[in-house]
Amino acid sequence: MTVAQVANLSAEAISIEERSPLQIILMRFRRHRLAMVSLILMIFIFTITVFAPVIAPFEVQELSVNKYFVPWGTVDEETGRVHHMGTDHIGRDYFSRLIYAGRISLTVALISVLISETIGIVIGAVSGFFGGWIDSVLMRFVEFMLTIPTLPLLLIISAMLLRDENLIPIPESILTFMGNLLLLTPRDARSAVLIILILAGFGWLNAAQLMRGMVLSLREQTFVEASRSLGASNFRIITRDMIPNAMAPIIVDASLGLAGYIVGEAALAFLGFGIQDPIPTWGNMLAASQQFMLDRPWLPLVPGLPIFICSLAFNYIGDGLRDALDPRLKL
Amino acid sequence: MTAFFIRRIFQMIIVVLVSAVASYALLNLAPGGPLAGLRQQQQNDRFRITEEDIARIRAYFELDLYLPYRFTRWLIGEPRGPLVIGGQEYFSDLIVGCRKPVETESLNQETGEFETRVTGCNEYVQLKDLEGRRTSRGILLGDFGLSWRILRDRPVADLLLSRLPKTLQLIGLSTFLSLLIGIPLGVYSAVRQYSRFDYIFTTLAFIGSAMPTFFFGILMIIFFSLVPKEAGLPYIPAGLSESVRDYTIPLIGDVEAGSFKDRVLHILLPASVLTIVSISAYSRFVRASMLEVMRQDYVRTARAKGLSERIVILKHALRNALIPFITIVVFTLPGLFAGAIITESIFAWPGMGRLYLLALGDYDYPVAMSIFFILAILTVIATLLRDFLYTLADPRIRLS
Repeated sequence: MTVAQVANLSAEAISIEERSPLQIILMRFRRHRLAMVSLILMIFIFTITVFAPVIAPFEVQELSVNKYFVPWGTVDEETGRVHHMGTDHIGRDYFSRLIYAGRISLTVALISVLISETIGIVIGAVSGFFGGWIDSVLMRFVEFMLTIPTLPLLLIISAMLLRDENLIPIPESILTFMGNLLLLTPRDARSAVLIILILAGFGWLNAAQLMRGMVLSLREQTFVEASRSLGASNFRIITRDMIPNAMAPIIVDASLGLAGYIVGEAALAFLGFGIQDPIPTWGNMLAASQQFMLDRPWLPLVPGLPIFICSLAFNYIGDGLRDALDPRLKL
Repeated sequence: MTAFFIRRIFQMIIVVLVSAVASYALLNLAPGGPLAGLRQQQQNDRFRITEEDIARIRAYFELDLYLPYRFTRWLIGEPRGPLVIGGQEYFSDLIVGCRKPVETESLNQETGEFETRVTGCNEYVQLKDLEGRRTSRGILLGDFGLSWRILRDRPVADLLLSRLPKTLQLIGLSTFLSLLIGIPLGVYSAVRQYSRFDYIFTTLAFIGSAMPTFFFGILMIIFFSLVPKEAGLPYIPAGLSESVRDYTIPLIGDVEAGSFKDRVLHILLPASVLTIVSISAYSRFVRASMLEVMRQDYVRTARAKGLSERIVILKHALRNALIPFITIVVFTLPGLFAGAIITESIFAWPGMGRLYLLALGDYDYPVAMSIFFILAILTVIATLLRDFLYTLADPRIRLS
């Protein structure tokens, strides 16, 4: 063996397989078994809701007269369609409504998360980067909002907003877009948009605090200094240096936020201050099922379990992401 | 220290004022309100409502006053009438509201809907008209005014006081129990990190914190009340805080309505829902805090000194681990007052949370605003209390 061969050999022997950061993250995430299971489950549920019009045998509002609470798997004699989960108290197909409800609940949660994390990132970054009185005013406000019990506040605001539909002008284009997304008329989509605004309006506080903390620690890093000495503007430093580097906790927060929004939206609908009945959501289906609990004790499980499963799954995904993105964050 | 508290109390006053304005504005800026149903009733011939009736009803709800006057009357009970200085009346002709607004309907060309707009005023309300009108002494002075719907014309304070004991019972019991059980569980789980107990415990606590309260409450009703009752087994009654009539439960026997036994049975389910949910939150928090403290040098020092493990954990670690817990405990104060809205509504528990929900649904604004306002004040007090307790618990923290 020549010297060159030995050198080659050892170089091969000691070098480990190169992995990109993304690969490392994926590998770490895959190690969290429950998070993987949750992710697959959520992808499955999402797929079902995306193809809701194809999968659901009945229309959302379609009534089968005189067929209230038919048992699971009853076949509709005229059209041959199957009530997979029976019908509800006014003869609407339960399974179809459940799928459409899932589409609405999940979309509301997703859009709320997108909006609230964006607000949180912007406010946190501005607050942390500029400091001074902007910082103290913003953070005092955030702290105060975080201490106020959330539910009473959400209720009082949705009570006000839902009472008068036209209180807040919402551009028609947004309503049409949301309507297409949720398979609702623009008029019905308004309440969904309002709920998104309410949820996102109070959901950005945590993200803002996280972002501010990250920006404060990043501000002292040398690469930020390097960027500044190269003449980068504040805007460029924030968008190119700060935000990408602070994404890890934000992504974890977003995933936990999804769980929170699904439960929050359902809670508002359950208490009667969310999206109202003809439009199906898991929350108002659960509230409706409560009336018939005495005779049909198992009925609430049908809309209730999906809420619980989604909440649990997003919590596990958040846990897995935390392990994968930043092990130091783990409690 | 004194300077700090003076500054904080000053801040508190500002926050309380801001939340008063906010809670008032939230419910009063929106149109509609208690008059919303009247216009529909007008269609009916038998109960025709005259313009005079509407003016009277508007005056009853103070809707005929302009918002700033309405707000100050709600806040401090002023103005009650003309300003009297030395027997002389001032500003008695000042216009403070409109008794009969002129409404014109116009057709919106774009949407094709009729729009009603207030375009003028037929009859103004002047400051002197306010004299003799019923008003509260102001919410800042502890008078919450009269209820509009739930208990019409009765003081809101009476309503709150009648509901408060039930909420204190429920939340007090569940907070006490969850602290009593949650803290030891968290400590034990942290001390035995990675043991089988820890694994099972963290999984359960994780599931518990992901579980929505409303679903959990319904599950409890199904499994402990409905299904066993159907099967003829001993069950736990669900709904209300005590039964209306006597009932019999297998094995437990006859229960007299309103008796101690009856009330205990009724508090069982809602209290367990709240307790289990808070246990999972509290114990996760204690566990995380304990794990962090146990890595500290002073714990190692305590061990190195040869102290027994018991003393190291209870005296050195736990005491420090509980410091951040102050925040959580202190903020149960607003919770004690506001109640658990969801749990109370599922179990029809006649407490504050349910009252708040009823008030919002029924447009009983004085009740809803009072609860929200008191909640904001209690939150502010809790913040101050937290800062104060932190300095007591941790001498390193200085207030400045």
